[in-house]
Amino acid sequence: MIKKSRKVRDYKELTKALPTMRFLEPESVYIHLQNGRCKTYDLYVKEGDYVKLGEVIGIRHGGFFEQPIHATVSGTVGTVSKKLHRTGRKVDCVEIRNDFKETYHESIVDRTDQAIAELTQDDMVQILKEKSLVGLGGSGFPSYIKLATKEKIDTVVINAVECEPYLSSDYRLILEHPRRVIAGMTYIMQALHVKTGIIAIKKSKDPLYQVLTQVIKGKFPEYDIQVVKLGDYYPQGWEIEVFRNALGIDVPHGELPMKYGVIGFNVSTAAGVYDAIKHNLPVTKRYFTLTGDAIKYPQNYRVKVGTSVKKLIELSDGFKEDYDKVNIIMGGPMMGVSTVSCDVIVSKTTTSVIVLQDTDYEEQPCVRCGSCVYSCPAHLEPVQIMNAVKRNDKDVMKGLGAYKCIECGLCAYVCTSKIHVTDYVRKAKRLIG
Amino acid sequence: MEHMPQVIRKTSPYLRRPQAKVSRMMSDVVIALIPVIIFAIYSFGWSAVWILLASTLSMTLTEAIYYWITSPKGETAFTLSNYSAVVSGLIFGLTLADNTPIWVVVITGVLGILMAKLFFGGLGQNIFNPAALARVLVAVNFATLSTYQANIPIIDGEAGATVLQTLNESGNLFNADILNHIPLWQLFTGIGVPGSLGEVSALLIIVGGLYLALRHSFEVRIPVVFIATVFGLASAVAVYQGLGIWYPLMHVFSGGVMFGAVFMATDPITSPITKPGRIYFAFALGFVTFIIRLFGALPEGVVFSILIMNMFVSAFDYFKWSNPRFTTKGSVIFAGVVVAAIAVVLVGVSYVG
Repeated sequence: MIKKSRKVRDYKELTKALPTMRFLEPESVYIHLQNGRCKTYDLYVKEGDYVKLGEVIGIRHGGFFEQPIHATVSGTVGTVSKKLHRTGRKVDCVEIRNDFKETYHESIVDRTDQAIAELTQDDMVQILKEKSLVGLGGSGFPSYIKLATKEKIDTVVINAVECEPYLSSDYRLILEHPRRVIAGMTYIMQALHVKTGIIAIKKSKDPLYQVLTQVIKGKFPEYDIQVVKLGDYYPQGWEIEVFRNALGIDVPHGELPMKYGVIGFNVSTAAGVYDAIKHNLPVTKRYFTLTGDAIKYPQNYRVKVGTSVKKLIELSDGFKEDYDKVNIIMGGPMMGVSTVSCDVIVSKTTTSVIVLQDTDYEEQPCVRCGSCVYSCPAHLEPVQIMNAVKRNDKDVMKGLGAYKCIECGLCAYVCTSKIHVTDYVRKAKRLIG
Repeated sequence: MEHMPQVIRKTSPYLRRPQAKVSRMMSDVVIALIPVIIFAIYSFGWSAVWILLASTLSMTLTEAIYYWITSPKGETAFTLSNYSAVVSGLIFGLTLADNTPIWVVVITGVLGILMAKLFFGGLGQNIFNPAALARVLVAVNFATLSTYQANIPIIDGEAGATVLQTLNESGNLFNADILNHIPLWQLFTGIGVPGSLGEVSALLIIVGGLYLALRHSFEVRIPVVFIATVFGLASAVAVYQGLGIWYPLMHVFSGGVMFGAVFMATDPITSPITKPGRIYFAFALGFVTFIIRLFGALPEGVVFSILIMNMFVSAFDYFKWSNPRFTTKGSVIFAGVVVAAIAVVLVGVSYVG
């Protein structure tokens, strides 16, 4: 209605209290050879080869970076086939048939604390590059590029807000492995010579606050790490919004936060940094939420990267019989991508799969109530952009700053007339390039 | 996995706010109008019932018949289900004088919704408020047929004239005598005051407005700024002319200011889309209303100002200067406009009074 509304019903009660189930041993995993950022690849192995867990089996080539591809189980290499990716496109995947022996590759050896203390920024960047660590919150941006910044950084921010409805994998990760997260964070702080760090959580998640403050006090007393409770609204997890509310820094559109002395990482990325630095291990497992109102037993899982979601849905006892039509969403229900089948693969950056009942919202004519304008976190005027798209007026789209849209979906969520405003703004972004 | 539902592909977001509905917004306005309607029936008797029925039915039936003729079968551009025509009809009826002939109500109601809403393309496409346009049609076409009367006798033979009319006709705009006939508390509660059906009781309109504000079904800024502008400009005049606090209060409580501000100016379709835009719009409404009251001979200042400002909504929303946030530049310009408005009013008053 006519007000600024940023509360989104979060449905997290479905899975929040459930401990993570370990589903580590699929019969075979499918490793993506391409992804949204990398279009071409080289595969170093061929069908029938034996690979070990953590072994480099190929390399993805992106625009200005490369990502080594690691095997996430030990076993024999199968064929290369097309599988659905998080982005909704079909990409090449290589199958590795699990031999259930979990044989680690020789390169995976723990570093001692002594050795870690001597690592410089360049060393760490090198390790993360070799271990192909990317932003695990969903962005997929290579972390080593972020970590290699030459700017003077004052604060490291760990983003644990997880503001999307339904998701609870980050919540469970912190609750179950707070030490890994904080240790990963201290490594980042060490690399960037930063003294202060901030872990941003939601106000409503008090257990996280308790766990984190206790672990920081008990195990990392020498670090200046604050746990900051941020507002309970959407999209609080947007990096810019986190910086604004936690530190009071306003990062304008199109500028890197590093310029302002802050750097942000997702919780899972921090845990990934820990694995990479401490155990020299690439991301082979993923905290993952399988939830939604059309699935029988919503659950948090810890799965091997490359597991088929179909298997996980079977493990959750399948779909509810109540609904004949469902949406299967990779990522959160506000920003995620819907897929055409449940035969999708968990990649490093997949935080969740949400199975929702398919609802057709009846669109009413726009009554210009203005709630999209009031609510837009990027301070745009979605309805005006929509009108510009309808008459294909590119000057107005540019003038209204449609390119600043972060596609958080809030305008469509709050719309009184149930119009899919976000889609129009997305179209505007495409039209003005 | 025995049950394999069909997988539908869509684009994000997949959730919608459950409470947000056009029909809820419109039916809230109807609910907010209920006390006003009851009071109108109490004050004016059956004539209020007939006028409200005529205005509502003429507008809704016109809309229904229009869509029945124009849209091919199956296409439901038909918008009766969201109560928007009912709301327009009720508001139009409530702005009328109690002795307006029914045929006048029907003709203007039909023309109002056709010209202001349906010819523009229906709900959400109109630039003029249908109720305001219909009311103005009555004012300009059938002025002699609609005079104000109440079933409570008014002293001094002033029956049939509202406070503002009396002020205009008495020749002295700043005459406090009027309050001898109708004290301020009567203006506020609406008991025994002549006027339009729904406009007499400021108290009940405030109750309706509070309900709408609590339900977030209208933009609170518009009525607040509108009324504050009228009050502020009248206060400036009162200070300049050495009048008491009764003068601005009388302007706020008499005539259609309260009703127009709460129920007509807040029509989201015919108001700007941004927060600052809505504030500027409401200020302009208050200014135009006050100017019409001071220097115009029309009792329908509020509806005229609403129609006039409706024309400028697209200017408020023009992409080169509309901004969802308050900017320093915008605030400075707005402050300048406020000062200029006060100056214009005072210069005008020095000629009139």
